[in-house]
Amino acid sequence: MTSVIDKRQIRDFDWLTAFLAIAIVSFGVWQIYNAQPTQTYWSKQIFGLVIALIAMAVVAATDYRRLIDMAPIFYVIGLILLILVLIPGLGVKINGQRAWLQVPFIGRFQPSEFVKIPVVLMLARYFGNRKLGALKISELFVGIGILALPIALIMLEPDAGQALTYFPLLAVTLFLSAVKMRYVVLTIVATLVFVPVAYLIGVQTGLIKGYQRERIEVILDPENADPRGYGYHTFQSMITVGKGRLTGIKGDKGVSQSELKFLPEPHTDFIFAVTAENTGFVGCISLLLAYAILLSRLVVGAKQCPDRVGMLVIMAIVGGLAFQIFINVGMVLGFLPVIGVPLPLMSAGLSAVLSTFIAIGFVISVKMRRFVN
Amino acid sequence: MKLHDYSQNLYLRIGTIQVIAFILLAVLGIRLYHLQINKGSDYEERAENQRIRIIRIPAPRGAIFDRKGNLLVDSRSTYNVTLTHEPIKDVKAENRIEEYANGLGIETEFLRDRINLLKKRPDYETMVIKENATLRDITWVETHSLEYPELGIQLQPQRYYPLGETLAHVIGYVGEISPKHLEKPEYQEKGFRPGDIIGKGGVEQNYDEFLRGTPGYRKVIVDSRGRIQSEIESVPPQAGQDLVLTIDLDLQRAAEQELRDSATNRGSIIATDPRNGEILVMASAPSFDPNVFVQGSATTEGRAQIAAYWQNEERPLYNRAIQGRYPPGSTWKIPMSVAGLKQNKITVASSNLLCGGGIRIGNKFTRCMGSHGTPPLKYAISKSCDGYYYRLGLKMGIEGFVDLVEDFEYDKRTGVDLPNEKISRTPKYYRKIVEKRYGGKWIDIESVFASIGQVTVDVTPISMLRAVSSVGVGGKLYVPHLLKEFKPSAAIGEKRASNYVEGREGFTYKHPELRTVEMTPEQNKLVLDGMWAVVNGGGTASRISMGTDFPIAGKTGTAQVTELGKDRGRLKDHAWFVGFAPAYNPEIAVIAIIENAGFGGTHAAPAVKNVFQAYVNGGSPPPVEDEEKNVAASENGVPQN
Repeated sequence: MTSVIDKRQIRDFDWLTAFLAIAIVSFGVWQIYNAQPTQTYWSKQIFGLVIALIAMAVVAATDYRRLIDMAPIFYVIGLILLILVLIPGLGVKINGQRAWLQVPFIGRFQPSEFVKIPVVLMLARYFGNRKLGALKISELFVGIGILALPIALIMLEPDAGQALTYFPLLAVTLFLSAVKMRYVVLTIVATLVFVPVAYLIGVQTGLIKGYQRERIEVILDPENADPRGYGYHTFQSMITVGKGRLTGIKGDKGVSQSELKFLPEPHTDFIFAVTAENTGFVGCISLLLAYAILLSRLVVGAKQCPDRVGMLVIMAIVGGLAFQIFINVGMVLGFLPVIGVPLPLMSAGLSAVLSTFIAIGFVISVKMRRFVN
Repeated sequence: MKLHDYSQNLYLRIGTIQVIAFILLAVLGIRLYHLQINKGSDYEERAENQRIRIIRIPAPRGAIFDRKGNLLVDSRSTYNVTLTHEPIKDVKAENRIEEYANGLGIETEFLRDRINLLKKRPDYETMVIKENATLRDITWVETHSLEYPELGIQLQPQRYYPLGETLAHVIGYVGEISPKHLEKPEYQEKGFRPGDIIGKGGVEQNYDEFLRGTPGYRKVIVDSRGRIQSEIESVPPQAGQDLVLTIDLDLQRAAEQELRDSATNRGSIIATDPRNGEILVMASAPSFDPNVFVQGSATTEGRAQIAAYWQNEERPLYNRAIQGRYPPGSTWKIPMSVAGLKQNKITVASSNLLCGGGIRIGNKFTRCMGSHGTPPLKYAISKSCDGYYYRLGLKMGIEGFVDLVEDFEYDKRTGVDLPNEKISRTPKYYRKIVEKRYGGKWIDIESVFASIGQVTVDVTPISMLRAVSSVGVGGKLYVPHLLKEFKPSAAIGEKRASNYVEGREGFTYKHPELRTVEMTPEQNKLVLDGMWAVVNGGGTASRISMGTDFPIAGKTGTAQVTELGKDRGRLKDHAWFVGFAPAYNPEIAVIAIIENAGFGGTHAAPAVKNVFQAYVNGGSPPPVEDEEKNVAASENGVPQN
């Protein structure tokens, strides 16, 4: 019995997706080394990749339906972690955000990265098992509720960037759960109207903090921004990307933007700028293509899913990844405000790699069981 | 597929999400193309600008020596605190003025000025905010390098004037180029920048381009905090050329001592070699300390001291030797005598003119100090007979005076190699003013006064010495000069390298075309005889005779500053003596003017004699008085009787 399953598992194991993910992480390790050659981030990332692969294998080998069944437990554990992180002494405060937990052996990890998975599972469990037909308002509120609890806790850290990455999970889930198109259009229109209005009101009332406002204004009007002030990160990031030109810098060791410390957070949030500086337009486009193929593979997997729950899980993850890539690279390329969102699979940090690989493991698990029923 | 059952358009919706994801990635790709391909070179340049710094290495100025090799001026190493203009970082230096001021003990006003000046400069340039940094300042800057990365320490060779007030007017001083100078195109062409050190006054100014070296630089890579990571290239500075002056420091000291010992402590002594115009001594009193200008401009006390120099009524900054204009009094009789002979108003054979105890012009009688009968020229010079010259002046008339002035070049600068030399004022200059006042005509009384160097004659000591010393060398009017030699300076770097700095050749003073006051040897000898008699023939300066070994030829002068009877204090007569020795084969010519001291024979002549004495003694100061000798000897433990 087990041997039959094993063979089928090996046959159906999504080799290309796993290979792409590993390739991107390996590419990322090289860039982390470029960013901080004197630090050990790159070797830690390899260690992280090994852990992530193990986690992916474990998740892939597990029947995703059992994981869906257990979703509420994961969700509650996730909420507990988000509460723990807020407790001074347990949560580690970095740059004014209490977003990390110190764990023996592993080091710091960021619960807000992991909690995306139980949230996706919860959303998929609820919306995948509901009755057919147009989405009801009450169902919509349940979805919002599932999202609201972790977002509220994350905002207490406060980490607006991470909180933002939760929205596409719900948006995709709702979009694929027969929400009427007129609501979708209405939401888009409302967003286009509401966001600027909310921004203006926020500025007027002071709800949007000074630094947040300046970061946004840098994007809206880069020519007049003060390159020494809040525009500094954006400005330096654009310089770093631009100087990579077609094929990246060559030869001039020790004079890269990150080594001279002009580029902030080069191994995490601004890893894409390091990639651009070292590999140029060719390297960056290759990376974006790799992301595109990876996302396509996941979408194909979603389409092959035996049930809606699995499809929703995969698509929510696709939405989350695409959104996060866009927000991060957009920030690096200077047309989106600076918010602390890592680039999936590339940025140094165990939490991001681990959660992305668990998600991929989940996708593999779904795909491997597509013919079971 | 089961999924189809749930919703008619689910695949469409999944496809929509996929398309949106691709669109987002495509947007990123387009933006990447814009940044890396369209504007890549622009960003590359910006990245380079922010990481590459060019640090100037100031060049030491050439040292200055006297003719015997005594060191007069040198540069010594000091440290400056500098501020860098950092446009990228969130450093607003104006918000840190208080911190800098407290940490380094500088005034906030001064800092504010500096920062405003720096803001006008290109990015990443530096500006000195404190010179002569102490060990404490350096420590403060280095311990605060994280808070104030914009501050740095720079090695700076600083001008040092070990002689202080001695020779100050000749040497001048150096200082930072002023914003006013920087606006002038001739300075901009030469690539001067704020903070550059240039010569101000004296040979420091006149020979600035040779004394000034060529600064070197270090091209380095810095990190975002401005810390140096590595060096790309380095070009050492080329030191300025060493200057040897014609000055004899020992004689200079002797002359300055004479001025200090003089009645008013105000005046000037110049000594030249009449055979070539080399200036051996140029003293002007009172003097100033050039070090005050070099070190003091950044401190309150220093600025107060500089202001005090400017406001001092005795005018210590003013070089009386080339900028003071005084009536020459009877010293003017030497060029008068030459002119009278040349213009045939008197002849070698018949040089007698009436003294008459004075002269009456209209109803005004202008008297002579004595009654000399009808003396010949030699006697008139030796006794300084005014009556004789009144009549000679009347014979010459204004045209004769103009000829005299042009012949001895009193209407020009002597051409001494110092800045801001003044031109003497003579009847040629005053003619228009006199003629305007008296209905278009020169009047006789002005000729009478001018004949003894009064009223329409104001000359600079340097022009007087040049004219009189020419009589000693057959009328040759050498241009007085301070430059003896500039030493060569070595080339910097490899000959073919892009940063090669050529070596500089040494050179000596180049005489302009020599002008000569034409006169016959007989005429020349007659005037010389008169000058010889002034000292050696019972004349007005008999007291300074140094005997037949070193006969002095000269002329005293006592120049009236105001009308008789009011000549007290500041209005007292100026004392003059000008002469050379040995009389008929001169090696050294000396002029002394002591302002408002009184008789030239009493006050100026002895000063000149002591300079001659120092010259004879080989430049060593005049022998000390016996009493002092005894003190010195007893201190040495030698028993005295």
